[in-house]
Amino acid sequence: MPVFRWGHNWETFQDLEREVDRLLHSVNLTFQGLRFGRQYPLVNLYELEDEYLLTSELPGTKVDDIDLTIASGVLTIKGKRTDLEHIPDDKFRRQERPRGSWQRSLKLPDRINEEGLLAEFNEGVLKIHLPKAEEIKTRQIPVSTGGQ
Amino acid sequence: MSNEISRKRPEPSEPEAQQPVQRFVLPPPIDIYETEAGLGLQADLPGVSLDSLELQVQDNKLTLLGRVLPHVPEDAKLIHQEYQVGDYLRSFILNDEVDHEHISAKLNNGVLEVLLPPATKSEPRRIQVNTD
Repeated sequence: MPVFRWGHNWETFQDLEREVDRLLHSVNLTFQGLRFGRQYPLVNLYELEDEYLLTSELPGTKVDDIDLTIASGVLTIKGKRTDLEHIPDDKFRRQERPRGSWQRSLKLPDRINEEGLLAEFNEGVLKIHLPKAEEIKTRQIPVSTGGQ
Repeated sequence: MSNEISRKRPEPSEPEAQQPVQRFVLPPPIDIYETEAGLGLQADLPGVSLDSLELQVQDNKLTLLGRVLPHVPEDAKLIHQEYQVGDYLRSFILNDEVDHEHISAKLNNGVLEVLLPPATKSEPRRIQVNTD
């Protein structure tokens, strides 16, 4: 029985790699609905005639616990859900819903009028209205000769 | 005859633009926990309102169906999608520990909360045995 086989030892790693891939894949599939290992919250973006609409599902979150800020073109949504915090862990028979604090930053396109941002929260769905900016004027850049 | 066959066979999936009525049905994530008042169940149903929620118990099965009404204008064009919008459907088998008659539920902020109170155990009944 060869102790060391040149050229064969890597196959083990390939098998391992494949096995790990398979495992990860199945984990991913199992938890897909639970948003594990994915950004939270998930957002959808819609375009309308004069605005963009960002929607996100945040069930069980209180309006007061949602914090929206915008700075230099980056929209940050921050929040937490505390709806079942009073239940001790050992009392849970099943736990599928995400909980705790979360934060997500989204880069907004330049064509947004940041002043006109509006947000509403109904039935666990957050809607952020992002009005489109007025036509951005074409700016002429002077080209000069000379210098260095 | 040929008509009937083509009607029964599902059409190959068309691009979404041609099927605006396509609906998704999703199982909502749930938590089940024990409280002093019985079993608690919470389900995430974002976008479901009181009018569009159906909760029913039949035999020993609890079924929840939440319809999600479109929350964006019809002419809105989806340009980036991370989650699916659809109706919620999930059912649970209740065991004998639950008092089926006194299940209560409330809906707040897109979360359905169902309380399943424990069934009162029936007292053992002594049966008198007589001789003739």
